[in-house]
Amino acid sequence: MLKMTHLSKVYRTEVVETYALRDFNIDVKEGEFVAVTGPSGSGKTTFLTIAGLLETFTGGEYHLDGIEVSNLNDNARSKIRNEKIGFIFQAFNLIPDLNVFDNIEVPLRYRGMKAAERKQRIMESLERVGLASRAKHYPAELSGGQQQRVAIARALAGSPRLLLADEPTGNLDTQMARGVLELLEEIHRDGATIVMVTHDPELAARAQRNVHIIDGQVVELSEDPRFHSVHAVADGAHG
Amino acid sequence: MQIRPILAAMRHHKAGTVLIALQIALTLAIVCNALFIIQQRITRMSRPSGVSESNLFVIRSDWADKSDTQRIDAQMQADLIALRQLGSVQDAASTNSFPLRGTGWDNYIKLQPDQPRMTTDSAIFFSDDHTLATLGTRLIEGRNFTASEVAAQKPRDAMHAAQVIISKDLARRLFPQGSALGKTIYVSMGQAPSTVIGVTDTLQAHMTGSWAGPYAYNAVLIPARLLNDYTYYLVRAKPGQLEAAMRDAPKALFAQSRMRIIDHKDGVMSFAQVRQRAYERDVGMAILMGIISVVLLAITAAGIVGLTSFWVGQRRKQIGVRRALGATRGDILSYFLTENLLIGIGGVLAGAVLAIGINLWMVTQFEMARLSLAYVVAGVAALLVLGQGAVLAPALRASRVSPVEATRSV
Ligand SMILES: Nc1ncnc2c1ncn2[C@@H]1O[C@H](COP(=O)(O)OP(=O)(O)OP(=O)(O)O)[C@@H](O)[C@H]1O
Ligand SMILES: [Mg+2]
Repeated sequence: MLKMTHLSKVYRTEVVETYALRDFNIDVKEGEFVAVTGPSGSGKTTFLTIAGLLETFTGGEYHLDGIEVSNLNDNARSKIRNEKIGFIFQAFNLIPDLNVFDNIEVPLRYRGMKAAERKQRIMESLERVGLASRAKHYPAELSGGQQQRVAIARALAGSPRLLLADEPTGNLDTQMARGVLELLEEIHRDGATIVMVTHDPELAARAQRNVHIIDGQVVELSEDPRFHSVHAVADGAHG
Repeated sequence: MQIRPILAAMRHHKAGTVLIALQIALTLAIVCNALFIIQQRITRMSRPSGVSESNLFVIRSDWADKSDTQRIDAQMQADLIALRQLGSVQDAASTNSFPLRGTGWDNYIKLQPDQPRMTTDSAIFFSDDHTLATLGTRLIEGRNFTASEVAAQKPRDAMHAAQVIISKDLARRLFPQGSALGKTIYVSMGQAPSTVIGVTDTLQAHMTGSWAGPYAYNAVLIPARLLNDYTYYLVRAKPGQLEAAMRDAPKALFAQSRMRIIDHKDGVMSFAQVRQRAYERDVGMAILMGIISVVLLAITAAGIVGLTSFWVGQRRKQIGVRRALGATRGDILSYFLTENLLIGIGGVLAGAVLAIGINLWMVTQFEMARLSLAYVVAGVAALLVLGQGAVLAPALRASRVSPVEATRSV
């Protein structure tokens, strides 16, 4: 689904060159649920923005769903973002001027979908996140957890094959974080590929696979049973 | 395509939206009326005078000794002979006034001596048998004055006008049914009848103001030398010799007698100068209206650029989010163009109503014609185009916001 080989990303300013990613290799298979961890500034967000075609990269190769994306023009990249990828941001990123219904409609309109289908998809995805009754509310009228669920509904409404989440629970308390994670797990069970950046080892532990990034490089692809068991215990302790 | 959500979002920027719409409305209302006024002034200025203007000029001679009317009369006749003899001059006539002069005599014209109200009002031009030829104005009916019909006339005496020649428009106004020739009219308070012996082609009165609209082409030619404190000489130069004639004529007059004043600045004026003076307020008004229009349009365009730029800056994050969710650059561009178009449509609708309102008010307050709807339609189109043009640069900037803005925490 998502394959990066020897990928690099350099940010150039007048004074310095920052290697946000260097010789970065990753292969996420269709249907996987991958958690990405790493220290602050290690390049997690950079990886996600490149994976989601929000940004271009400096060197190497990136195949998304079998397509080498560096040759695509801006419109083609927009189309892929619109049709194949769903984004969930730490800051929710709902459009404050639009109500819940209109927020979820945004990507569907860009797809040129008919009004009836849009409406059906919006209501379905709102029901899925348990907020069908809030369609006419504005983001400011919702709690953080509710806003993030609306953002998930917005990402889901377009039935993306790949869901990219950058610290989706970073602004939420434990209770709400758990709810969001359960939602992601459910979406994963329905067949979506999920890549989630998180600082929370407990959440990371619940993913199928962990990717650790340090200094712009993948240092560990952990499917180590010990890793799981440690957190399973921690999980139990919290439970 | 995305009108409903744009309208929905606009409710969250009411103040700016309303401000720009109002600005567009006011600009439209004022510019429509300003352009209409310009067009009206141009129309007025391009009316024909009925005079063959090239090669014609006027001299004003103020008499040094104003008391002796007999001497003035003799001097005028001598002056005319001298002027007509000049090599560069084709013909000359004396008069109290002439088309486009601005001020002059105008009298009530009646059809019956005891009529309580005037039939119409008309300019009075004191003339002689050379006047029509000097003006280059054609007689379309009847005959010209003969030299023997031309008498001396003191300003305070009852008007000597047994025969008159009138302009075509006056003839039609007085006698709409048939020919004016041979008819009797009353041109003065003296209640002496005048017989119409000739009708000229179009001939404009001295007054050019909008108030004089209904009388602008009414003229009565009276066969007399007016023995006033001053006289005008209308002089027609031979073709191509206007400059020479304008130099020769005052010299010839001073050679006749130095007992006169010819103003060195505007004592001798070509008819082109006369026309320019007659309409200089109209030209000034047209220029003022033009400047107001340009300034207003520029301010409105600047307002749109400014506010949209502000909005683009304010919405960078949401533009990034939209791009992340699949908006193409074209989608973002069209968002801002559509938003501006919607505000513009609101503005021009209000502006069209206001434009017509202002005009109707001016119709009642001033001598103003009804605003042609074509101006409103053209103004609406122009302001919508202006809006789209003004919004283009900030909208293009918006379309270049990177989708990665969505991930930036602000
Ligand atoms: N636009 C940019 N210009 C310059 N440097 C940048 C830019 N974006 C990121 N970087 C640098 O690239 C490196 C990786 O940043 P990135 O945001 O990917 O880290 P991160 O792992 O997401 O950190 P965090 O956990 O704090 O969110 C950092 O050193 C950062 O300073
Ligand atoms: Mg980050």
